[in-house]
Amino acid sequence: MIFRTAVEHAKRHPSLIPQFFFICLGMGGACLYLIRLAKGPHVVWNKTKNPEPWNQLDPTYQYKFVAITTDYKNLKKEGPEF
Amino acid sequence: MFVQGLVNGAIDKLPANIELKMAEDIKAKLENYRTAPFDARFPNQNQTRNCWSNYLDYHRCQKALDAKGVDNTPCDWYKRVYKSICPMSWIQKWDDQRAEGIFPGKI
Repeated sequence: MIFRTAVEHAKRHPSLIPQFFFICLGMGGACLYLIRLAKGPHVVWNKTKNPEPWNQLDPTYQYKFVAITTDYKNLKKEGPEF
Repeated sequence: MFVQGLVNGAIDKLPANIELKMAEDIKAKLENYRTAPFDARFPNQNQTRNCWSNYLDYHRCQKALDAKGVDNTPCDWYKRVYKSICPMSWIQKWDDQRAEGIFPGKI
């Protein structure tokens, strides 16, 4: 229903379409970035089952988008296991 | 792997010579130690959690290996790392807290 009103509105004021597009782009981008932050290794969602989620990652885990100098494929766990 | 839960179970079933090899590898690494290496779990500028994690890991490792009766010198890797990264005041504060029994972390 909301899409029909949006389409009618767009037909009557077509010059407002770029505004709609950019608002959607901005809100969508903000939401996606919030999701990326929520999935980050430093966030604890379940204090009883998974209190330290950064310990559940493998050593080649890449959080950043672009790896400039770090060779992620050859990283290994440094410390001894216990 | 960082999956300590799995490892804790698996390491009881490993033969003793793997633990010896681990100790030798760590000894070699400790001799060539310069500073804390890059840790993919903490890629950003804020290394607070890195310091905290290694401090906890050192004491947990000591407790675990002492409970098994095995030589705990491999744990020294974590000690070197946290001594490299952590501010001395934090280390002293946490050591005092552990001595008093009010340390907030789970060891």
